[in-house]
Amino acid sequence: MESGETEMETEPAATTTVRLNPLLAIAAAAAAWCVPGLGHLLLRRWAKALVYFLAVASLAVAGLLMRGNIFHSNAADAFEMLGFLADIGSGVFYFLADKIDVAGPDVSHASGDYGTRLIATAGVLNILCVLEAFEIGLRRRGRAGA
Amino acid sequence: MILSHFQTLMLFALAVSLAFAFLSKHTMSEQLRYAVWSFLGFLVVAIGIGWLMYPFSR
Repeated sequence: MESGETEMETEPAATTTVRLNPLLAIAAAAAAWCVPGLGHLLLRRWAKALVYFLAVASLAVAGLLMRGNIFHSNAADAFEMLGFLADIGSGVFYFLADKIDVAGPDVSHASGDYGTRLIATAGVLNILCVLEAFEIGLRRRGRAGA
Repeated sequence: MILSHFQTLMLFALAVSLAFAFLSKHTMSEQLRYAVWSFLGFLVVAIGIGWLMYPFSR
């Protein structure tokens, strides 16, 4: 053990130091969650921002127009809570659901059921994008001394 | 708006393939190649599973 500890202590320091930027990371992640792609837009990743917005928006809007179901925070069971967590991932589309789908959900037909899945997919996809925006923002400043 | 099961599948496959490509690859050629293969993979697997389930539908 002692020799191992000695090895750890005498190990040469890394030649480059990564400077983290947690404030930018949190801001980018919050923006990416509110509006899909906005976090990447702030980080000047134009192509990613456009693709993520189009992907999440097309899934969420199609799901809502197909009268898919939106899960709310007052879930009756664990599955509804999972549905809520997935749905709320799509940010602005979750909060505008009533405006986009004025007729309300109807899962008595297959189309409404497909819509429910598309809305959940949009939310989960956007959560992945939020995590990527956080990671890019965290390392935005690059390497110190470079 | 009413989409068929296949149209919904196409929309899902297109959106998810594009997002996955940009999430996992860095150069444009890699992203394009990944998106195309992923999109085709979604379609082939879904249609294949559909055919495998066909005998049980009757």
